[in-house]
Amino acid sequence: MCPAIAELVPDYIRAFEAYTPSRPDPVLMRQYGVDHLHRLNNNENALGPPADARAVIEAFEPPRSAIYPSGDCYALRLALSERFGKDPERFLVGNGSCEVIASVIKAFCEKGDNIITADKTFAVYEWVAEFSGFEARLIPLSNWGFDPEAMLAAMDARTKILFVCNPNNPTGTWWDKGTMERFLRGVAGRAIVVIDEAYCEYVDDEAFPNGMELMERHPNVVVFRTFSKMYALAGLRVGYVCGQRDVVDYIRRTHIVYSVNSLGQPAAAAALADDAGHILATRRMVAEAKELLLPAFDALGLKYVSGAGNFVMVETPASDSLIYRQLMRRGVMVRTMTGFRFPNWIRVSLVQLPAMRDFLAAFGEVLQAVSTGPA
Amino acid sequence: MPANVSPASPLSASARPQLVLELQADTAYLPVAAAAAENAAQVYGLDRGGALRLALAVEEFFAYLCRHAGREEPIRLTLAHGGTFASADFRFRAGEVSLRALNFAASVDLSSMDADNGDEAELGLLVAGRTTDRCGLTRSGPDVFHLNAEVDREYPEAEPISTPQHLAAPLRLEPQPAAGALRHAALLAAGRYPARLRPSSFSRPERFADMVAWGQYQALLALDAAGRPAGLICWRASGRRAVVFSGPYCFDPALAVETARLLTEGFLSRVARTEALCAFSERPTADLPRGWFENLGSLTLHGAPADAENGEGPEQSEGVDQPAYYRHLREDAGAAIWAHPDLFPFLRREYDRLAFSRDLLPAEPTDHTRLAAHSLLATSLDRLRGLAVLRPLLDGQDFAANLRAHVEAIQAQGVGDILLHLDLSEPWQGAQAPALAACGFAPRLVLPHAGASDILVCQHVPGHS
Repeated sequence: MCPAIAELVPDYIRAFEAYTPSRPDPVLMRQYGVDHLHRLNNNENALGPPADARAVIEAFEPPRSAIYPSGDCYALRLALSERFGKDPERFLVGNGSCEVIASVIKAFCEKGDNIITADKTFAVYEWVAEFSGFEARLIPLSNWGFDPEAMLAAMDARTKILFVCNPNNPTGTWWDKGTMERFLRGVAGRAIVVIDEAYCEYVDDEAFPNGMELMERHPNVVVFRTFSKMYALAGLRVGYVCGQRDVVDYIRRTHIVYSVNSLGQPAAAAALADDAGHILATRRMVAEAKELLLPAFDALGLKYVSGAGNFVMVETPASDSLIYRQLMRRGVMVRTMTGFRFPNWIRVSLVQLPAMRDFLAAFGEVLQAVSTGPA
Repeated sequence: MPANVSPASPLSASARPQLVLELQADTAYLPVAAAAAENAAQVYGLDRGGALRLALAVEEFFAYLCRHAGREEPIRLTLAHGGTFASADFRFRAGEVSLRALNFAASVDLSSMDADNGDEAELGLLVAGRTTDRCGLTRSGPDVFHLNAEVDREYPEAEPISTPQHLAAPLRLEPQPAAGALRHAALLAAGRYPARLRPSSFSRPERFADMVAWGQYQALLALDAAGRPAGLICWRASGRRAVVFSGPYCFDPALAVETARLLTEGFLSRVARTEALCAFSERPTADLPRGWFENLGSLTLHGAPADAENGEGPEQSEGVDQPAYYRHLREDAGAAIWAHPDLFPFLRREYDRLAFSRDLLPAEPTDHTRLAAHSLLATSLDRLRGLAVLRPLLDGQDFAANLRAHVEAIQAQGVGDILLHLDLSEPWQGAQAPALAACGFAPRLVLPHAGASDILVCQHVPGHS
């Protein structure tokens, strides 16, 4: 008898549940019976791309869609090289930073190896390790942040990569220069240290460590950055990895070429060209949103965690998935946090004030509904 | 692994010992299959009586399949060590199969039994179904079926611990409790909670510890400042995408609120990034913290007659409302479900109350002329709880009569609480509302995502036959 298809599948794939993304906005709006939807679930920058990037997108000529993009993002890597003063060969661009996470794990891990990260952080490090058959050692957060000592204690001879999300999604906590330096000295080059700086442009603090500088003193440091958050190019999917040249050479061997499209590459390069005003405006928008939301959460007696980044996490008096559905009925989409191992918390993206006011109004109604309901 | 490191995927389990045979559908291989089952069962820890029961089931199943299974491929028999039980699984192809003898209520007229017309083989399945602890039929492809039988290992019963516990904060979680701690905690829970609120294995604590060791249950323990058990919560997979939990069990009432919250949060964090989509209460205690689960409604359960002897009190005869709690572990993406229009008012009210987005698609009963003669219902019986759960597996012309026969047969066993689960992803199941109503079943709960789609739980109304 032919084997069942499931018998052909490794155990670590059978045990893995595929991620189910949100349905398209029009479908969600129809399902929940609303005529608008505030997207406060993915930490997108509601200001949209910087002006130069916007111009590139608007000027894109449809016939160019017939032509393959630059397979290794040649011009974008030159732009990154110029911006950071590093050899272009030290940059590897991917279809969002999720793709480069997979490339790094494939490059350094083999059967029996492990990676170390936090239990309550961006899930993709853990997921890629797990569905690739590698152990993910998950260290509990300490005071909402990554615990450097516990991460070092969890290392063994088979530890190949430590992932540090700095600032951490979803808590917004971050290691300062001293903490990061002590941690890297503790690792002592025994494993690759990935510093995921997806939200670094939201931090305006001298004490925040710059991974681009750290890698010059610690050759085992690899930095991830993205154009999806601050630069508002999430729909074009552009992220990149930077490290020492020999490290990046190994990662490149596992990396798919031609994965970044013809519109994303020039748009990302343009976004770098004149970003100071855009970054300031975004930080101002985030600060204004916090000034509105945090006192409102205080008034409601709700606990929240608000660090760096364009998001805030708030504890809810009912199941976060119930709060999600109730908010969706009012045209507001947030992120439930059970999947981040924060049950009964939601994460809210910080955007312009009108949307924030709409969120607060809907949130108040929902809290009233769940407090009087049967739950 | 260091003590402060959490496993990333707690539901992943290592491969279990198993023996796989591929057999031609030929009765000449009957002794081979039976002998393999008996020997494997003893290797897997069953006593001689248990091993013989499994061997009998295998023999009877195989004889039946020789008659009915497709001939183009051999039958695959997998004998597996389940930890606290041994199992036999037959995977076979059958283009047209009559498995009505697997119905709990199936009966055969012995006076008309004739080997030539197949009754003898069907009697064999009836015997097999009733001599095992659990058996079932599933379908994994258009014409691929599995017949599965399980026989449990024997475990000694132990005396519950009812001595009051005086524990000391702070509490902490033990994510991977040792067997000794689990046995101790199970007996503490058995001493504080009535039988209907705890798994039966708590009274056989070695069995409970083995179930955890083999992945049948997952468990979290709360420990007090001195490392003494302060509480327990346990859960198991229910289908591929749901977990059902029992508890939380708190051993010191003075610390119950803190213990329950710690266990509940730990439980949800453990299942949050697994394949499970949702968590349901199986035996929720009054200690379950408010605000962490949604109340789906309740069932009025009367319990087993023996419950009065277990201190359940006289209210059991009147029925006790058992609430059903639910928690989605993801963001609901909406869904479409099939149901008979008679069910629409109930479903619309419940989906609206729970804020679930669902498209209701009308399902009408299939024309009788297009149906097979016989339907098939799966029955699970929990005698300790006095509870039977029916699940339709195959539609047939006799569905209504078959359902009525099941109710009568279950009631004849002294089991008063009868539930029926309809998977609303299947139009033919959703369409059975008139047959259910005629037999005395009323819709009580919707369990979102509990099956391939949502499950509608119907309860038989006592006094209706």
